[in-house]
Amino acid sequence: GLRRCLISMDIHHIEETFQEIKKTIQAKDTFQNVTILSTPETLHSIKPLDVCCMTKNLLAFYVDKVFKDHQELNPQILRKISSIANSFLYMKKALQRCQEQRQCHCRDEATNATRIIHDNYDQLEVRSAAIKSLGELDVFLAWIDKNHQGPSA
Amino acid sequence: AVLCISGGLPKPTNITFLSINMRNILQWSPPEGLQGTEVTYTVQYFIYGQKKWLNKSECRNISRTCCDLSVETSDYEHQYYAKVKAIWETNCSKWAETGRFYPFLETQIGPPGIALTTDERSISIVLTAPEKWKRNPEDSSLSMQQIYSNLKYNVSVYNTQSNRTWSQYVTNHTLVLSWLEPDTLYCVHVESFVPGPPRLARPSEKLCVRTLKDQTSAVKV
Repeated sequence: GLRRCLISMDIHHIEETFQEIKKTIQAKDTFQNVTILSTPETLHSIKPLDVCCMTKNLLAFYVDKVFKDHQELNPQILRKISSIANSFLYMKKALQRCQEQRQCHCRDEATNATRIIHDNYDQLEVRSAAIKSLGELDVFLAWIDKNHQGPSA
Repeated sequence: AVLCISGGLPKPTNITFLSINMRNILQWSPPEGLQGTEVTYTVQYFIYGQKKWLNKSECRNISRTCCDLSVETSDYEHQYYAKVKAIWETNCSKWAETGRFYPFLETQIGPPGIALTTDERSISIVLTAPEKWKRNPEDSSLSMQQIYSNLKYNVSVYNTQSNRTWSQYVTNHTLVLSWLEPDTLYCVHVESFVPGPPRLARPSEKLCVRTLKDQTSAVKV
């Protein structure tokens, strides 16, 4: 069967980095009635078999879209975001290698969940969408932590 | 709802969630300068991503400065906001609002249950995982271990005679401390720990037990 591709990176270091800027970032998000990750329809419906693909898709979402669209003026916060972005880049490449070894298969479930997230993002003005996505990093990191426990690939 | 002049009072302060084992209590301090006066408070809460603020009927026009929102925030994988305003005669404050509250990452994990048994040179420790808060005592229990599969325990042991303390992290629920001194009082306290973003910890009460007297020296007499 398809061997799960597990991220061996220390997610807790990223969680701690985000924890330091979370309150500030979330305070800038004034649209409380909208979420980007919409977890009940997306992350919470992902089966173990689709964890790798979903992780890869969401890392790409953050690296290729969110971090690029977000404009940060505060140098301390910018430093933390850059640190997180670099970690995501590293994880994205690791999962890319997994895909090349045909161990990160993408089924409709992960593809549909990813599309919901992109649709949510595109419905907001880009700066608001980026800050909201950053504010939901704790949800994504907690999901990675929960789903990528176990012996690494 | 009684109409009041909004902004006529300063806002309540220090509004935050105190969360232990998913029991989520909203708490705040009276507005500056109004301690001791007959101010009342009204609370609302919001589920992140939903459409509107919701009332908490048991926390309308209350005089205490806390409100149990455990039921309303029981889905620990959602995130929430809460807000409170002060009312005094015909004046009321603007809303004071919490940041985004994420029970799954922010709840404090209470200490485990601890049972100690001892013989001459060892102490056996049996830990029972803390339980998630439940609305009714007769509701089925959910262990915090079922929510946090990577839950660990930091066991600290203190030798009251040598004044030495040592600790170790364990994941399973039974632990035997060996090579101890006979007839010595040892005290143990345990803290639950979940790897991840830092969260406040709730150490257990200290539990002390004395190892038995060394039977071999007793026989020589």
